[in-house]
Amino acid sequence: MGKSRKKIQIIILLLIVALGGYAIVSQVWGSGGKPTEGSKAPDFELLGLDGKAHNLDEYKGKAIVLNFWGTWCGPCVKEMPALQAQWEKWKDKDVVVVGINAGEDKMAVENFVNNMNISFPVLLDPNKEAIAKYGISPLPTTFFVSKDGKINKIHLGQLDLATLDKQIEELVKS
Amino acid sequence: MLQEVIAFKNTKCECGHQNPVGTVLCEACGRPLEEEDRESTEVLEMRYDGMARRSQRANPNIIDRIWNFFSSVKIAVYLIILTLIGSMLGTIFPQESTFLNIDPSTYYKDTYGTWGQIYYKLGLTHTYESWWFILLLVMIGASLVICSLDRVLPLYKALSKQKILKHMQFLTRQRVVYQGPIEGTAEDWVKQVSAPIKKKGYRVYIDGNALLAEKYRFSRWGPYVIHIGLIIFLLAVLARGLPGMAMDQHIGFPEGEIKHIPDTSYYLKNEKFTVEFYSEDEMPEEFRNKGKTLPKLFSTQATLYQCTADCDDPTKEPKLKEVAKHNIKVNDPLEYEGLKIYQFDYDMTPTLRAVSPSLVDNKTGKDLGKFKLDIKNPQRIYTVGDYTLELKEKYNDFSIDENGRPVTKTPNPNAPAFLFLIKGPDLPADGMQYFYFPKEIDKVRFQQDAINAKLNGGKPPLELDVNGMGNVDISMSTSYLNIRVDKVMPFIWIGASIVMLGLVLGFYWQHRRIWLRIDNGVLTLGAHTNKNWFGIRREISAILKHMNLDVDEKSLDNGGKHE
Repeated sequence: MGKSRKKIQIIILLLIVALGGYAIVSQVWGSGGKPTEGSKAPDFELLGLDGKAHNLDEYKGKAIVLNFWGTWCGPCVKEMPALQAQWEKWKDKDVVVVGINAGEDKMAVENFVNNMNISFPVLLDPNKEAIAKYGISPLPTTFFVSKDGKINKIHLGQLDLATLDKQIEELVKS
Repeated sequence: MLQEVIAFKNTKCECGHQNPVGTVLCEACGRPLEEEDRESTEVLEMRYDGMARRSQRANPNIIDRIWNFFSSVKIAVYLIILTLIGSMLGTIFPQESTFLNIDPSTYYKDTYGTWGQIYYKLGLTHTYESWWFILLLVMIGASLVICSLDRVLPLYKALSKQKILKHMQFLTRQRVVYQGPIEGTAEDWVKQVSAPIKKKGYRVYIDGNALLAEKYRFSRWGPYVIHIGLIIFLLAVLARGLPGMAMDQHIGFPEGEIKHIPDTSYYLKNEKFTVEFYSEDEMPEEFRNKGKTLPKLFSTQATLYQCTADCDDPTKEPKLKEVAKHNIKVNDPLEYEGLKIYQFDYDMTPTLRAVSPSLVDNKTGKDLGKFKLDIKNPQRIYTVGDYTLELKEKYNDFSIDENGRPVTKTPNPNAPAFLFLIKGPDLPADGMQYFYFPKEIDKVRFQQDAINAKLNGGKPPLELDVNGMGNVDISMSTSYLNIRVDKVMPFIWIGASIVMLGLVLGFYWQHRRIWLRIDNGVLTLGAHTNKNWFGIRREISAILKHMNLDVDEKSLDNGGKHE
């Protein structure tokens, strides 16, 4: 009944704590849940209208306004000019606006973007994989992602220029 | 017990053996160590053969205290009761995970009223994924491991180094006891008696005038085997929450389309979906003549592909390799390397995939050639004979908004519409605009001819025309499949089998031991088993009969609790 027994006891207890802790953490904050404010923004790998693949990593160090939209969705169309205006205002100050289109084909999106004179990066999500990862249900939904990759704010529904400006200012400060 | 442990008593037996703190019966000779116990004539407490459990020790520190907490059977029982109550609470209303598509924050209130809302607010709508439920499972697991270790090691030690000559009090205070005179010398008698005992299947150890006979010791390990099985079972249940270990999703596969299965490297093509309905006379009485259709059989001819290269690069088409083919029916899934794909539902709404219209000269009626127009992914430019058709606009679900502008209502190709700019011989230099609705019904509904007449200031010189259904590619239906991966299921079965093995070991055999010693021509016999006392008394009675001692089975009973 010497030191070796105590060591074994400690090892077993530590193993239980490690296994149990991992089980609880992975179950409660794990894959099943939608991302929430404060959690890490899920990564994606999507084709942009520029023909290149884009992921979250390439915007590292920048604050991201991630807008999920569709050409058929009225409020999305209405908030596009506001997003474009903010993109022009903030693009040199380490803020990037990214639009993720929900499941439409390239031509529909391309035509729309050309007609609206949108110049911020627009990505296509034909299989709605990013949509699923971000747990989007109503469109538009906008995620404000801070420089460290954490979700600062989730906005459901249409954004107007003033709110958007305020949100981005908060995002840059955070 | 704790007080005794703290009191740090002298645990040396009169036989000279030094026992660990917490020992009840001397590890060597079986003499009770407590003064009080020695004066009693009650039947002995034989649990773990009177050995100290591992957790019983002097001066417990913090680690010992945690260890002792989990090694307590009482705590284990409380943990199990709490888990049972928790599981019961989770069954009051359906769990969130049983629905495919609901918003739980409103669903429970709308469906079950205030109680539903309270239930949701308490987090009971996802009981089995909650931190407290998993914590309870982890604690039960800890209790299982520590309880087992705490008992199995001392028990193993006690049983593997048993002293044959036991203290008199140890024998007379067993539940099965016999005392009486014998004839002949002690050594001879002991040798003689070993033959009938061996015949009963016992292993016999002799030490001069003392004898120990033992059988079915392995049944003592039954409970610990059950614990090992339960630990494997619990680990498997917990592992289910890890990414990639279990998946359960429902996906619609339109006929003829290769679709990616999210979170896997697999793609599936629904080659053909068929559904057969019951005819009126096959249906039960109550369904007849009510216009109801009951599907008899639905099945999906599916081909499974695995991506071999360029899987995550959206700029390239993934390279696919066919890995499996199966006709999926209800309860007859496609299975491939742990992936199971079940038939779940279907939707018979046809969707237009492609059309191959011909460019027709309106004056001469001459067919100038045809091209294939993919509804989902059309090209920008088509060339037909001397003409080029540039696709200017595309609407999936055509409609006119409040400002009179064409828009798309949904992303689904319910009413696809295309605006072409056609250039070529005998056409204006900046081309001719032409609106095209591939679906005949939309052509009429949205007045294609009127739109084109307006765009061109009169009937256009050219038009697009689909000649018959041969030039139309339609996906007739969508098959909904349930895609499941469950990598932990084999471990659940292994755990359950080990539990079963442990139950069999513990239930069908009993560890039986007989000790006897002869002092001055008097035989003292004591016997112990963990259950079926009737059986062991009967065996002893038969053995003694061989030695010409007629002892009634019942008279061997020395009292104590019987089970």
